[in-house]
Amino acid sequence: MKIIGDILTTTRDELPDSQGASITYLIRKANIPHGRISKILGTLVSQGLLEQTNSDGAFKYKISTTGREFLQAYNTFNKFADSFGLTI
Amino acid sequence: MTEFFFESILNLVGFAVGIVIGIFAAIGFRNTGSPTLFRLTLAFICIGIGFLIMWAGLALDMYVYHSSEQIGWIQTLGIAVQTLGYFFIAFSHTIKSFFPRSNYLRSVGMVPLFLISFMSIENIIRSISFILLIYGAIETTMSYFESRRKTALFVAGGLGCLALGEFIGWYYFVFPHSILNIASISIKIAGLVLLFIPITRVPLTKIKFDEKF
Repeated sequence: MKIIGDILTTTRDELPDSQGASITYLIRKANIPHGRISKILGTLVSQGLLEQTNSDGAFKYKISTTGREFLQAYNTFNKFADSFGLTI
Repeated sequence: MTEFFFESILNLVGFAVGIVIGIFAAIGFRNTGSPTLFRLTLAFICIGIGFLIMWAGLALDMYVYHSSEQIGWIQTLGIAVQTLGYFFIAFSHTIKSFFPRSNYLRSVGMVPLFLISFMSIENIIRSISFILLIYGAIETTMSYFESRRKTALFVAGGLGCLALGEFIGWYYFVFPHSILNIASISIKIAGLVLLFIPITRVPLTKIKFDEKF
């Protein structure tokens, strides 16, 4: 759950260019292996939380409107869970 | 009569706080799919229902049976449901060493529950509640030292107050007709208010809730 939050936050706040963030950039930011992040990105795209674009033969990722709403809810409820000493 | 009044307030405040936090956690679960929020939902719904059962028991005594003696099994049921809620809070802190590993000890540990009266079962359940609440309070305090989030202190204080209330409430059985019961109830109400504070700090207006809620 935290990884998803980190990926969505990166694609919202720390985009290297307007096309979106590449897998390599996200791997460096989220610090997780390629195989795992590919699966997570696939799930996030299929759920409509990320938008995938093809730029110069490489996939790039940007947060969608649904993703922004999810991230807002995630941050709010993360604070709530944090009050109980828990992480969501 | 005074004790009935105070206990009714405690139980109704407990019901309201439990259900409101439970619904809030449920909304969080529907929006994020987090298992932690699902456990918190179960925990606070159980706590709220437990308080409601205890209030129903008191109301039955007062208005239906017109008896000053509380109906044992309803109180025990209410406390048991609350304890289940406290268990889910402790379980969320990845409780690992609470239950004995040996199957023999586990099976023997259940035997007394079938041999003793409702009053004794109530005392046993109260003591389990006390342990779970202390565990939750300690874990939440530890998390405060990591995150420095002030709301964690309110939750730790709330769980600690509920634990102290349980402890003093248990002492009331040793010294009945003393002020201990009122003290226990007041401390528990303070604990519930402290537990509710984190909800008031959440910027609810900024959340787009699930349409089904």
